[in-house]
Amino acid sequence: MNVARVTHHFNASPERVFDAWLDPKTAGKWLFATPTGQMVRVEIDARVGGRFVIVDRRNGEDVEHTGEYLEIDRPRRLVFTFGVPKYSPLFTKVTIEIEPAASGCDLTLTNEDVPVEYLASNEKGWSGILVGLAESLARHWAMAQCRDGGRS
Amino acid sequence: MVERSSIPLDGVFRALADPTRRAMLRTLAAGERPIGELAAPFRMSFAAASKHVRVLEGAGLVRRRVQGRRHLCRIQPATLAAADEWLHFYRRLWTEQLNRLDFLLQSEDSPNSNPPRKVPKR
Repeated sequence: MNVARVTHHFNASPERVFDAWLDPKTAGKWLFATPTGQMVRVEIDARVGGRFVIVDRRNGEDVEHTGEYLEIDRPRRLVFTFGVPKYSPLFTKVTIEIEPAASGCDLTLTNEDVPVEYLASNEKGWSGILVGLAESLARHWAMAQCRDGGRS
Repeated sequence: MVERSSIPLDGVFRALADPTRRAMLRTLAAGERPIGELAAPFRMSFAAASKHVRVLEGAGLVRRRVQGRRHLCRIQPATLAAADEWLHFYRRLWTEQLNRLDFLLQSEDSPNSNPPRKVPKR
């Protein structure tokens, strides 16, 4: 429930895909980068409890992406909180799972607290949307208030 | 991520963080209701309910009109639409990010890439 999930196949080893998230040099080339933006700050403290700050300059405006690593299990699993303070005080939880495949690996990214179900069923009307939205946002808020609430 | 609307979402999220206010919104999703009716399930006073409604009003989620002695509340869908759009952000963001990573790894693999990039080791 209330989970946005994106999967992607890579023709690269699980280790390589995993490291791309935590190696600042590599991450700076793609993570939170935009085609026209300029990466101005990439700080990654790759340990549980460590934080990341990635700043992309877009049309002269610095957009900071930040969060805290909750689980680091190379090359299988990476869990971190994620927020964009410029746009919202809320933090969500991102879980990355990497499974070896015949050629390369399959990555599943789960961004919790995003009510995909209700987004996909807008025809249900505002009543259904409200229930999904409100419940989702309640968890967003709880996570922002207590970052380690999602470690269970 | 660009907030296209001018609706300040912080206030929206804060207003929605309270279970009583979320329940009130669920009731209002069915149509316009007097404050007394919103308060009923919580056995709270009119004043207490009115306070919650004020927060919802401040966030732009609810509009109140006074009809005689009754305060009627109505939901403001545009505000919810703005919050909805904001939440769409994540799906789009991660799909783009993973495509970008894939492209990067492939270009590193390409024999034409010059100079060839080493796989980062941690």
